[in-house]
Amino acid sequence: MNFRDVELLSAYLDGRLSPSDSHQLESRLASDQNLQAVLDDLRTARGLLRNLPHRRVPRNFTLSPKMAGLKAPEPRVYPVFRFATVLATLLFIISFAVNGFAPLARPRLSAAQAPAVGLGGGCSNCGPSESVTATPEAPQAFSALAPTEGLPATQDNSGNLTAPAAPIAPKAAAPFAANNLPAPVSTKAPIPLNLQISLGFIVLICGVTAWLLRLRSEKEFQKRWNRK
Amino acid sequence: MDELSLIHSSQHGDLDAFNSLVLAYQGNLFNTALRILNDEELAADATQDAFLSAFRSINTYRGGSFKAWLIRTVINACYDELRRKKRRPTTPLEPDVDGDEMDTPHWMADPALTPEGQLEADELEHAIQHCLDNLPLEFRTVVVMADLQGLDYSEVAVATRSPLGTIKSRLARARLRLRECLQEFRELLPAAFRLQEEPMR
Repeated sequence: MNFRDVELLSAYLDGRLSPSDSHQLESRLASDQNLQAVLDDLRTARGLLRNLPHRRVPRNFTLSPKMAGLKAPEPRVYPVFRFATVLATLLFIISFAVNGFAPLARPRLSAAQAPAVGLGGGCSNCGPSESVTATPEAPQAFSALAPTEGLPATQDNSGNLTAPAAPIAPKAAAPFAANNLPAPVSTKAPIPLNLQISLGFIVLICGVTAWLLRLRSEKEFQKRWNRK
Repeated sequence: MDELSLIHSSQHGDLDAFNSLVLAYQGNLFNTALRILNDEELAADATQDAFLSAFRSINTYRGGSFKAWLIRTVINACYDELRRKKRRPTTPLEPDVDGDEMDTPHWMADPALTPEGQLEADELEHAIQHCLDNLPLEFRTVVVMADLQGLDYSEVAVATRSPLGTIKSRLARARLRLRECLQEFRELLPAAFRLQEEPMR
């Protein structure tokens, strides 16, 4: 008897032989007691395995949502509040950034404009940083312009020319606009404080609402699973 | 709800439906793991891992025997447990002097059996488990699937991703080795051997 015979016997036990192979094996079994004994042993071994007691499970293996990685479903309006919170937060941050950087940008603008413009200007409301200063080459040009405007220019100790503010201020916008000149810089913050407060309020309201919606959904989800 | 509907719902993330399948198959998976690992704790861990893995990959199920598909996941989980065990072998705190770690717990005892009958059944189970443990893993896997879980050759082939011829050959070798091993216990358990004889097909 070789391993091929054992394979045949094993398949025969499971009814996996073709009818002709089965018939052939059965005739061999009838004449070969050794083969018959092996078949009996294989059948016994198989029978023992099949009749092994089925152990009861020590516990249930059902999955909890946490195990399965399931999360509470998002409330329908949750994405809207989440988006609003993110957007309002971004705008809130940007508003602070804009207001924060605005004063830094003004002196540079003023310095760059002065020689190109060659015109004293300014206003009484403007602080020292906003007064237009001219380079030493500017006096001639400035003094030439000054009489035609009827505005006496004054010169300080350092040679800077300062235009008299009060008479110019009311008319300032017109010559600047007519000559395509940059408008005088304002000290006011670009983003009003009221708008910033509103944005902060929106961030707070939307954020808290989104959080509450999520919390309620999670609690309901948990409650539903605990009931089962 | 029939099995197909439960599978379909599970594929859409319905955990309730999947848990119904778990309840239907947990016995099969646990017993498969237990016979392969011969450790109730490890078998429970492997079963839990198998169900978790099955839930996560249920969309890869493309029909056929769901039981075979689940058994494949538990076989993979058993292989993982065995690899883990091999990497970090553990030593019991108290030596197992009488080797009775497989003793049937009191609550599992069959009330229909007399104490002597229960003892014989336990000894028989020990003997079979001992013989199973001595089989190479790939033979043990095949024999557990085919003879313990009653899967047919093609289901075992699908579950183990092996050709049908390999399954036939492994099963024959496994039974041959079991036969040789069980012969050592013939004198210990003659009644059981006689009782298990089946009529020839």
